[in-house]
Amino acid sequence: MRKMLAAVSRVLSGASQKPGQIFEAYNMAALWKLPCIFICENNRYGMGTSVERAAASTDYYKRGDFIPGLRVDGMDILCVREATRFAAAYCRSGKGPILMELQTYRYHGHSMSDPGVSYRTREEIQEVRSKSDPIMLLKDRMVNSNLASVEELKEIDVEVRKEIEDAAQFATADPEPPLEELGYHIYSSDPPFEVRGANQWIKFKSVS
Amino acid sequence: MAVVAAAAGWLLRLRAAGAEGHWRRLPGAGLARGFLHPAATVEDAAQRRQVAHFTFQPDPEPREYALETQSPLPRNFEMGQTQKMNLFQSVTSALDNSLAKDPTAVIFGEDVAFGGVFRCTVGLRDKYGKDRVFNTPLCEQGIVGFGIGIAVTGATAIAEIQFADYIFPAFDQIVNEAAKYRYRSGDLFNCGSLTIRSPWGCVGHGALYHSQSPEAFFAHCPGIKVVIPRSPFQAKGLLLSCIEDKNPCIFFEPKILYRAAAEEVPIEPYNIPLSQAEVIQEGSDVTLVAWGTQVHVIREVASMAKEKLGVSCEVIDLRTIIPWDVDTICKSVIKTGRLLISHEAPLTGGFASEISSTVQEECFLNLEAPISRVCGYDTPFPHIFEPFYIPDKWKCYDALRKMINY
Repeated sequence: MRKMLAAVSRVLSGASQKPGQIFEAYNMAALWKLPCIFICENNRYGMGTSVERAAASTDYYKRGDFIPGLRVDGMDILCVREATRFAAAYCRSGKGPILMELQTYRYHGHSMSDPGVSYRTREEIQEVRSKSDPIMLLKDRMVNSNLASVEELKEIDVEVRKEIEDAAQFATADPEPPLEELGYHIYSSDPPFEVRGANQWIKFKSVS
Repeated sequence: MAVVAAAAGWLLRLRAAGAEGHWRRLPGAGLARGFLHPAATVEDAAQRRQVAHFTFQPDPEPREYALETQSPLPRNFEMGQTQKMNLFQSVTSALDNSLAKDPTAVIFGEDVAFGGVFRCTVGLRDKYGKDRVFNTPLCEQGIVGFGIGIAVTGATAIAEIQFADYIFPAFDQIVNEAAKYRYRSGDLFNCGSLTIRSPWGCVGHGALYHSQSPEAFFAHCPGIKVVIPRSPFQAKGLLLSCIEDKNPCIFFEPKILYRAAAEEVPIEPYNIPLSQAEVIQEGSDVTLVAWGTQVHVIREVASMAKEKLGVSCEVIDLRTIIPWDVDTICKSVIKTGRLLISHEAPLTGGFASEISSTVQEECFLNLEAPISRVCGYDTPFPHIFEPFYIPDKWKCYDALRKMINY
């Protein structure tokens, strides 16, 4: 039996408002019955604009129009797993593309220069964190069903923290790349292609 | 598309006005009449421009010039069996060779299945199947985005944008995605096997949206290559090079040459290197640079200059717009001291400004006269005013004369 691969295409809810691109993709995928899962990760804000203020219809899972869509609770890990299984099976059976909208949340601001509270309230953020945090929900589920003890999960927490600290340490301690790398990989070219710099005497080599 | 609908609506209203007797004499109404009533009378036909602004001049047998000029075709380049082909046939031949050589190659775009609006893909679907030559919906952004996706998987994607004027919806995909794919992933991923082909340049009756030369917009984008041939022989070699190049390429085909240009072209595949300009004619007094159709215009200007002014012109076809061959142009300007660049695209911000700027940086002390740019006006490409808009041989000749007498 030939294994059908399903392509997964991810779109953030801010980006799905980019006119044309996503709808052209929907059109082509549906027209040619391509096995493609379109995933819309809806974290309710595009930078500083909430979806209610930006979208004529916030039912993103319906905006595939002729492509069937699922609305999935993105905060529930098991829910996401099952929905993805369903979507993958759907695609692999040759029925064409499917759209999945995962409803989730963004705790921090969009970037380092966005405090994240100028367009929403702290209470809202705290409410989501205390009631719908995915890790917390899974933890409670596992502990209540005696799948794991609180101590075992604490150990995982400690391991994860260490891993992140190590990664951060590696990143900050890693030497900066040489300036020549500014020109690397612009073109694939043999011999390396010469790239002009800020003035006529600065040249980089696009090594690739 | 909205513009076409609006234009059609305007014309229909004109017709209605005529029927009710409220006909207004509009400028160019003679042409409008010819437009509305296809069965035009003989006197109306005379109003249409019969003569093109250039004459296609095929190169001397390529075997010869491969040896004589600095063209880097290998010295023992054998033409092999050739066939008289015009530009669209040479493109078909190149695509045929590509699909035969590379089992992952696919061709797609609007209307390519039946052969394309310019017949560049005639017979390919029958020969290679509907999985390899297929139509896309009318969405340039989707065509290029789809092409990028194919190229990322490693297959060879040859996308067609029906007219270069319609490439702008795909501009974001080309500039922000295709051009930066390799760079942003540190060479982990790339879409180098993408080639975009598109008919380009003035055609005599194309008006605003079927005549544009957008190479300057893409010249500003590191990461892609832009190539424009001047003849069927050049087109096949350059197109095959673009397809095989490991970087996303845009190949503009001068549509006016599709039928007007015909010469002997080898049936077997061959490559013409990218980023190498070609000195078509050597000279000592002034360097003329152009690409695409305009090369034939400046060739004529060179012979006019020789005949009337006794001036020896060096004619250079740039061929690749980016990355462009700075060395050949500068070497030539150092020799001659004068440079004239010509293109159909508007003057301001056109690619001639980049060439001009670089040449004055590199060859300042060698210049005998300011660098001259003979280009289209800074207007949208006009409809009825096209003969006045394009940089024809008289405008180029005039600029050349001024440069000589500087």
